[in-house]
Amino acid sequence: MKVYTYAILKDYFDKELLIDEPLLTITQLQQYLQQRNPAAGNILATCRYAVQNQFVTGEFTIQPGDDIHIIPPSSGG
Amino acid sequence: MKHISATEIDIAALLATAHHPKAGAVVLFSGETRINDKGKTVQYLEYEAQEVMAEKMIAEILEAAKQRWSLQIALAVHRTGSVAVSGCAVVVITASSHRSEAYAANRFIIDKIKHEVPIWKCEYFTDGSKQWGGNCNCQQITGDAHKHVYEFEDTPPGK
Repeated sequence: MKVYTYAILKDYFDKELLIDEPLLTITQLQQYLQQRNPAAGNILATCRYAVQNQFVTGEFTIQPGDDIHIIPPSSGG
Repeated sequence: MKHISATEIDIAALLATAHHPKAGAVVLFSGETRINDKGKTVQYLEYEAQEVMAEKMIAEILEAAKQRWSLQIALAVHRTGSVAVSGCAVVVITASSHRSEAYAANRFIIDKIKHEVPIWKCEYFTDGSKQWGGNCNCQQITGDAHKHVYEFEDTPPGK
């Protein structure tokens, strides 16, 4: 899967991540990233996740080849 | 019309497109870079967006505003990239028969954009530091970073 990070998350992870771990759900992806960089745990917990540009819940089943966007709380305007 | 712009927003040109024979009121909101924040001097803001989602969500917000109020025109453009002090980061224009609807719809649109659309700002200060965020404090009230308190909810819809 390919994971895209934005805004403050880029202080903790690369902008694009290629992940080959056998992660089945968005929740598992979040836990994996938290283990990879524990300092990002609080931020990851406030993020929304989108697959193919649609918001999904933690139970969403990840398919091989999915593009996953991790969306921190908005701060536009 | 594109809702995300990597280049300077031409407010006058947008306003020129926002007149309508049935609109007796045109409201324009321009969100601009403020020189002071958190006790520090801001040099500029840098905006980033998940552009595919942001384009779609702003279009949906504008459509929702048209459904809720009787509007002749509703448009919004948000910047990405660097915005200097006093520069325009976002513009929202609404036009309706009467001003109450144009004001209310305008507030609805900017509130929804600020709270929900995947756009982020990073403040760059003159002391060399930077800070992401400036997002809302709604979580302290709702307990959820993605449940918000909207100012427009104080204004009842009208047709």
